[in-house]
Amino acid sequence: MRAPIDGAPTERAIVIAAQHGSDEAFSALVRLHQRRAYSVVRAIVLSHEDAEDAVQEGFLHAHRALDRFRPDQPFGAWLYRIMANAALDLVRRRKVRDADELPDNIAIPFRDPAESGELRERLTEALRHLTDRQRAVIVLHDVEGFTHGEIGRTLGIPEGTARSDLHHARATLRRLLQIIRSTP
Amino acid sequence: MTDHRWTPSDSELSDALRKHYTAPSDPGYWSALEARILAHVARGAHVERWWSALVEMARPALAAAVILVLVAGAAVVHTRQLDARNAYASVISAGPPSVTTAARASSVADGDATLDYMLSH
Repeated sequence: MRAPIDGAPTERAIVIAAQHGSDEAFSALVRLHQRRAYSVVRAIVLSHEDAEDAVQEGFLHAHRALDRFRPDQPFGAWLYRIMANAALDLVRRRKVRDADELPDNIAIPFRDPAESGELRERLTEALRHLTDRQRAVIVLHDVEGFTHGEIGRTLGIPEGTARSDLHHARATLRRLLQIIRSTP
Repeated sequence: MTDHRWTPSDSELSDALRKHYTAPSDPGYWSALEARILAHVARGAHVERWWSALVEMARPALAAAVILVLVAGAAVVHTRQLDARNAYASVISAGPPSVTTAARASSVADGDATLDYMLSH
């Protein structure tokens, strides 16, 4: 593995070493990227457990496809695209397995969102009403701070579509989380 | 009594999303996940190697089977051609039976029968 002046190998050098079959280098790539990879897949799947499965599957796909990666490209963008695809595949498989209908209304008794985890509970349910892509877009944007362009590249959609998905996801969530409060 | 509609603002929504999607912060969790990822990749790589080896082993057997089928097919075609040629040759060499001989033999037999009938009556 080539080392720059400060002693720490560059990511490019680590990728090239991994491409030459170094398990140690691949482990280093996992260590470097697993948190962000988790966040990307977590934005797409519905549970933490599914996110872990998708991350493992994503890294396996990346390991198999490593020979085809050109080291002059940004490794992260390439990896997160693979992660997003692994997560979308998992969501599709889950849908086939659990082909059950979701209720139209979210009937949770009202408590002040500021005083309890009410908004969070309602949010969990409301997120299920978004399309997979809308959910991924709003989470990548609001939670991970991805730009519209980065979201587009990660999910393989045009930037304008990411922008429009974000708008629709927000509108849907705000509508579903709307609460009518009665005051005397 | 009046009804007020409360809708979360964009910032409230973002805050709720951030709380909902907070990644685990425990370093131990990430070490464990890393180990699981690497084990999963190693298992996948092992299966892939095993499958490649199987394909490598199967390739000569497959080639041999294809050659065997081709040879057997050629033998069947050759046998059929040989049978047809022999049948044709046997027909040509034997020639058709003589019509006059056959007719004569038939008339002699009829004559004998007539003579027998006359003598018996």
